[in-house]
Amino acid sequence: MTTKLLPLEELGSVVHDGQSVALGGAWLCNHPMAAVRQLVRAGRKDLHLYSLIGSIDVDLLLAAGAVSHLTFSMVTLEAFGLAPNLRRQVEHGDLQITELTGLSMEVALEAAGRNVPFLPYPALGRPETSDLVRANPGIYTHVADPFVGGEVLVVRALRPDVTIVHALRADRDGNAQFDGTFGIDDVLAKVPGTVIVTCEEIVPREVIVKTAHMTKVPGYLVDHLIEAPFGAHPTSHVPCYSLDAPEMLDYAQAAGAGEEAQASYVERIRRETEEDYRTRVLSGGRDLVLAELVRQGRILGSISA
Amino acid sequence: MTDVTSTIAEIMVCRIASEMEEVGVTVLGSFTPLAYASYMLAKRTHAPGAVMVGYNALDIPAVELSMMGSEGAAFRGSTGRWGFLTLVNTVHLANRGNVEAVSSAQIDGDASINLSVIGDHAHPKIRLPGGVGAPEVVQNYRTMLAYFGRHDTRVLTRKVDFATGGRFPIDAESREKAGLQGGPVKIITPKCVLVKTSDAPFVLESLHGGATADDVVTSTGFDVVVPTSVPETVQPTAEQLNLLRNEIDPFGTIQFDFMSGKERATYLRTMIDREWQRAADAVEARSRG
Repeated sequence: MTTKLLPLEELGSVVHDGQSVALGGAWLCNHPMAAVRQLVRAGRKDLHLYSLIGSIDVDLLLAAGAVSHLTFSMVTLEAFGLAPNLRRQVEHGDLQITELTGLSMEVALEAAGRNVPFLPYPALGRPETSDLVRANPGIYTHVADPFVGGEVLVVRALRPDVTIVHALRADRDGNAQFDGTFGIDDVLAKVPGTVIVTCEEIVPREVIVKTAHMTKVPGYLVDHLIEAPFGAHPTSHVPCYSLDAPEMLDYAQAAGAGEEAQASYVERIRRETEEDYRTRVLSGGRDLVLAELVRQGRILGSISA
Repeated sequence: MTDVTSTIAEIMVCRIASEMEEVGVTVLGSFTPLAYASYMLAKRTHAPGAVMVGYNALDIPAVELSMMGSEGAAFRGSTGRWGFLTLVNTVHLANRGNVEAVSSAQIDGDASINLSVIGDHAHPKIRLPGGVGAPEVVQNYRTMLAYFGRHDTRVLTRKVDFATGGRFPIDAESREKAGLQGGPVKIITPKCVLVKTSDAPFVLESLHGGATADDVVTSTGFDVVVPTSVPETVQPTAEQLNLLRNEIDPFGTIQFDFMSGKERATYLRTMIDREWQRAADAVEARSRG
């Protein structure tokens, strides 16, 4: 059997210009950022990104000029503001977008994973309450309900060429586990096409077997496995590390400050290896503080209430 | 002793919290600090049995609101982990959604909300983040709650530039006939609470922060019905203020909803530094044994 193991540096050999790529994670949590940085380093162009709830993952690829089309339900830097490159590129007409409601996008990706052409999606009322239905006739339409009559809204299967998700750990066969935020990573991993899992750590199979309840992505779905410590940074990967808010703020300010500041932020990532990146952002014991921030989050009252 | 002079933000938090009940499920959506504070407050006071889901963590406890630690606390106190699709299939799409307060750029008199664009969708003046689950929340949850950090005719507007989501039908009887949960639409702003229970216009339910009914009418882009007598919105209690200021939101995240972009950056830096320092001190203390 050929190995699934792939060095991060070779990501560019399995993700090609012009492909559609779905990215995992949600909000400021668990985006496959090491892979995103590597796509920047590889100089990928003309990608069609799929993002349910994107943030710096999408915005950084936009900043690097890697994206020509974005299918999404939300892209935001949350407390850190609107995503500066999404704003600029859409407002200047430089980026093609397909905006969907969040839950219908999940169902559309699930349809691809089930290998069906579409799924019923009546949750937007009748007449539909969202202009997004009318704005996307190629994705939403009505079909006759064969059982009770009348019409039902359906959403077309979305089939990205490549999906990339970041896991806590996996064995060499790609059986991948999560303990914190994983968004729809389990749905994304079922989509036909190339499935790439990056993970904090590759572990012996025995470790996975002993904690089998944590496996969300079985190895038979996984094509390539990449070990990438701090691979979600600066987004969080609970329980290992929290969001790196100072780093997020630096990004938001660089991206918001105009072309020069942004270009130098992107150029620095292009020039350094992932190991250089980790050394730069985690030095001075910052890795220990990021781990401690997860523990310092306070539960109020009693959990037995 | 807590200063019992409450801010507008605190009045709004307590008003939203009062909508939380120990039925159904509340999902913590995208960054809406005022809403998060409300849920935590309800959980710590009148609704300890309310079920909240945050991130992929099920039935989470009340947690301190912060920029970096809340996620870890939610997972440490949760009873399980589910993917978003399983979650939405069992909550949003199965009539278990109770209360989730959304915050959008615009709302209109039909209760449509806009999280997509200012201007034309294809060529926008301002591209906004998008709605993620908000369209499904406002359509399917029992009560539709929308809150705003500003109350003017640009936000509470005659007609939204784009309806990212909306609610149809509105009245409880028609909703139940359509297989939906019957419940009102409520808008909470720095001036007032507005309520809508049918196709008729929003009704002014209560006022706060010194706002008058005339003020509300002129600041609102759609029709508002003003009853002959409009009460003051209920003031927070000393217990609520104490919980909010000292336990739930010691870093002051709820102020975000009332700030411009520029103000936010400075405020955020201070808040992040405080939380970072607390963790750094803990690391330091441990290393000293």
